[in-house]
Amino acid sequence: MRAFNVFASAAAVILIVLLTVARPAFAAGALSVGVQLEPPNLDPTSGAAAAIDEIVYANVFEGLTRIREDGTAAPALAERWIVSDDGLRYDFFLREGVTFHDGTPFDAADVIFSLNRARDENSTNAQRVIFEKISAIIAIGPHHIAIELSQPIGAMPIYLGWGDAVIVAEESAATNASNPIGTGPFKFTRWRKGASIALDRFSGYWGEQPPLEQINFIFIPDPTAAFAALMAGDVDGFPNYPAAENLSLIERDERFQIIDGAGEGEMIVAINNGKPPFDDIRVRRALNHAIDKRSIIEAGLFGFGEPIGSHFPPHNPAYVDLADHYNYDPARAKQLLTEAGHADGLDLTLTLPPPAYARRGGEVVAAMLETVGINVTIRNLEWAQWLDQVFTNKNYDLTIVSHTEPLDIDIYARDGYYFQYDSEVFRALIETLSAESDETRRTEFLKAAQRRLADDAVNVFIASSPKVGVWASGVSGVWANAPLQANDLTAAAGAGRKVRNAETGADNIAPLGIVGLFLIFFTGAVAWFGRTNPAYLAARIGSAFLTLFAAAIVIFVITELTPGDPAAFMMGLNADAKSLAALRAELGLDKPALERFWSWLGGILHGNFGVSYTYRVPAAELIAERIWISVPLATFAFFLSTAIGIPAGLLAASRRNRKSGKAIMTAAQAGVAAPNFWLAILLVLFFAVGLRWFSAGGFPGWQAGALPALKALLLPAIALAIPQAAILTQIMRSSTINTLNDDYIRTARAKGLAESDVLKNHALRNALIPVLTILGLQFAFLVAGAIIIENVFYLPGLGRLAFQAIAQRDLIVVQGIVMVLVFVVVFASLIVDLAYAIVDPRLRRSGSS
Amino acid sequence: MTNVSITPAKSTTKNVGFRFGVGVSAIFIAAALISNFWTPYTVDGFKIAERFASPSFAHWFGANHLGRDVLSMIMIGARISIGVAATAIFIGMTIGVPLGLFAAAYGGIVDGFIMRAGDLVFAFPAILLAILIAAVYGPSAMNAVIAIGVFNIPVFARVTRGAALSLWKRDYILAARMADRNRVQISIEHILPNISHLLIVQGTVQFSLAILAEAGLSYVGLGVQSPTPSWGRMLAESQTMISFAPWLVIFPGLAIFLFVIALNLVGDGLNKRLDPREKWLV
Repeated sequence: MRAFNVFASAAAVILIVLLTVARPAFAAGALSVGVQLEPPNLDPTSGAAAAIDEIVYANVFEGLTRIREDGTAAPALAERWIVSDDGLRYDFFLREGVTFHDGTPFDAADVIFSLNRARDENSTNAQRVIFEKISAIIAIGPHHIAIELSQPIGAMPIYLGWGDAVIVAEESAATNASNPIGTGPFKFTRWRKGASIALDRFSGYWGEQPPLEQINFIFIPDPTAAFAALMAGDVDGFPNYPAAENLSLIERDERFQIIDGAGEGEMIVAINNGKPPFDDIRVRRALNHAIDKRSIIEAGLFGFGEPIGSHFPPHNPAYVDLADHYNYDPARAKQLLTEAGHADGLDLTLTLPPPAYARRGGEVVAAMLETVGINVTIRNLEWAQWLDQVFTNKNYDLTIVSHTEPLDIDIYARDGYYFQYDSEVFRALIETLSAESDETRRTEFLKAAQRRLADDAVNVFIASSPKVGVWASGVSGVWANAPLQANDLTAAAGAGRKVRNAETGADNIAPLGIVGLFLIFFTGAVAWFGRTNPAYLAARIGSAFLTLFAAAIVIFVITELTPGDPAAFMMGLNADAKSLAALRAELGLDKPALERFWSWLGGILHGNFGVSYTYRVPAAELIAERIWISVPLATFAFFLSTAIGIPAGLLAASRRNRKSGKAIMTAAQAGVAAPNFWLAILLVLFFAVGLRWFSAGGFPGWQAGALPALKALLLPAIALAIPQAAILTQIMRSSTINTLNDDYIRTARAKGLAESDVLKNHALRNALIPVLTILGLQFAFLVAGAIIIENVFYLPGLGRLAFQAIAQRDLIVVQGIVMVLVFVVVFASLIVDLAYAIVDPRLRRSGSS
Repeated sequence: MTNVSITPAKSTTKNVGFRFGVGVSAIFIAAALISNFWTPYTVDGFKIAERFASPSFAHWFGANHLGRDVLSMIMIGARISIGVAATAIFIGMTIGVPLGLFAAAYGGIVDGFIMRAGDLVFAFPAILLAILIAAVYGPSAMNAVIAIGVFNIPVFARVTRGAALSLWKRDYILAARMADRNRVQISIEHILPNISHLLIVQGTVQFSLAILAEAGLSYVGLGVQSPTPSWGRMLAESQTMISFAPWLVIFPGLAIFLFVIALNLVGDGLNKRLDPREKWLV
């Protein structure tokens, strides 16, 4: 029974640790907002990523002006402004009594610093082109500045309201990427990489306090998980709901409201106009005739979208309806292809980025093109690869993408844009358009531009994608339309329900020293209580370390086999020589492989797994945050599986000739065959979607308390445990039956012992010996299974981190995760083997009992 | 799902189970073969009228969000599943069995080295290997084959070694050694034929595990890529539609479940037929 004692005390220790973790703190009026993409950093002035504005715009950072929901500019940090008659000078009068979140007062110096930084030659600001037209910024007084322009820009107040023009303080500008400090009504609190960003109400805000106390942005890239999160109440809504297929269902559910807004997105099948045979307009027109927009709207957008015929959204007053400029006509398409000399058909590649509309729409497009004799090869790419291969290097035939920037028809006039559309006529049109200020004439030019694109069949224009927001019914004050790619939540009010205030997760990887101490302690205990042969212990521990060492070699060699330059592979898009060189130096690629291996290994021994290429934080930190989900999940499942499997196996053995015993074995047979992720989906269907007893996913964090955390892990743990419990039942049963056939058991029975006593006092311990070996292997399977199950329940564990890292080519993180998991597996089997030594008397020191 | 159609009967249980296993496995294999030249519907294209068609006579298992027939996709999925699993087992056997024979024949350092290397592979569950390979080469069916195949090498090496070791002590092996046959020759001529039944049983068990592993890998997107249908990806794709089109997750899952159960029953049956004592293969 000692084995049981060991397990029982281990379980007790784990429980005590879990229960002593901090209690949850609650915040009233909080809102959990689901967004699809995690921003690369939080400085809106440094890059083009819309995901940054989606978090910080208006909430954390403010500009001189701000964009209203209807797209017009309103006063923000500037109370008012005047413009000179020639349109070359703007005077802005700044608000007084404004402070940044760190207490720094706001004045003219901050404005001058911010705008100069944006227009600086070395600025990485995405809209530098606009700021470059500023010739001077002059401080007239501490709260009065003047901006002088080299040429009039009518929309200057609007541009100054964009995320790229927010005002930052010189003191904090350098660290805004990771710790943004602005003047907005919310201050940045915490970023759990790969999971969420929390903003808290800023009590020192100059304006009216926002209704919300806290905003949690939760990153949910997967449409499946988005639906689960919504149903489970883990998020209060999505400004842009990614899973259109569920909208009909959500519409009927009174817990939710759908806020249908006009989006700026145009979904297109982009054609590489510069590459033969697509430079032939007949081929492009054939493609236009061969593709049925309405089918794609059904399949890719689940009916949410309006057919378009040019690069323009229907809600705009200057819109021309060209949706049927090329009607769906496969015969005409074939005829055009024949005219173009492709009577025998055509081979092309359709390159698809990850969003569901592209992948689903892509399959339909491919099928429709096949019917007119075009052979389509589908190539699925991650965003980074898509940006690199399609957008930057124009290495594609067709691709499907949604362009979401407002009023972006001018991209067709840009040199080197990825469509490779080259039209003097169109360029001239756009040039006259930008110089024109008269609204009526502008509308005319815009209409002409739309017609031109349709006539030239530049792309296959499919649909305008609406912005569909889904919110819990109690939520108010959220924007329906999206004039900017931002989520202004300053007027939003929550459902009034209390939402947990998640505190910082475990930030430190358990130092290897502690693990080592535990090992020594445990080994000592085993040696003492088990009176085990020290040579056996030493050999076993030695071989565990050898295994780890060999695993490190394998991991290093596999990643070493990366085709080409690993640094270039990781940086992918737009890698400039300077940053490539920096990364190469960081990875030490200039040194010989052996030297790099030793320094990598040495780093690991110190808990240093290198710096994540994507997040620019130590990989160890990322792994440490996640390991506290994956390992507890596997451990939880391990206890469940043991608690079910061993008694069930014993029962099946003692009743092996009865119906109940056979029923157990039939159930076990079924349990072994059920894929755990399928069980997980079924559990979600019954207990979360149906009965609503559990969340369909998500993890509140250990700081929310042990019980909520364990509750969140319960369904995943059950799904993981069932197949393993079934295996355990089978092995326990056969091992017990084998033992019961042994001579000494017959002797015990002959003594007249009751069958239950025979089982408990004599057979059990020996029957457990082979079972223990299996337990060691089981833990490995549970850890591996946890990685998959995390996907079903979108737990932010190591599995999710691994798949994100794969998508972002973050080799350093992948290496680290695999190494850590191998360590967990080896460590677990070592512990089990040592426990084995306690149970198996044959491993004892000779001389003692 | 415990409601499996094998009812434990007194004496014929094993036979019923075995027959059920053979029958169901045969159906799956036949479906996979037939899918090479015929499926009830084509699985490409977009059939707007049939979107989310619920199970009916026209679509036995319903149709998905693209109006594609689930039964047809499951048939092709069976082909992919069997293909990946069989290739992986082939890799595991062709490398693992010789290694095991070698380890048993020579013992000592050779044996120790081969077995420790096996332990190393056991420290890498297939998914970790798949993650490593996918990180470098991108996800693909080949990725799944390699990951599952490599994981199977030490499994076969162990079984072969264990069985071979017990044979090396037999008299007829001694006789062969007296006849001046070397260890490699003896392994091939005498050991291998005498352990082949064990390898067949183990192969069946591993095959069913490989089916499960392939489904898991394609579920997380590390296996066969779109648009080729695969059981795992069918589950992943239709998970969001579970509340209004549950057939989309029930039937592919059921396919995996039934096929694996059937293979396990075949394995059990073979084991009992070939070995009268009830022994568990680990």
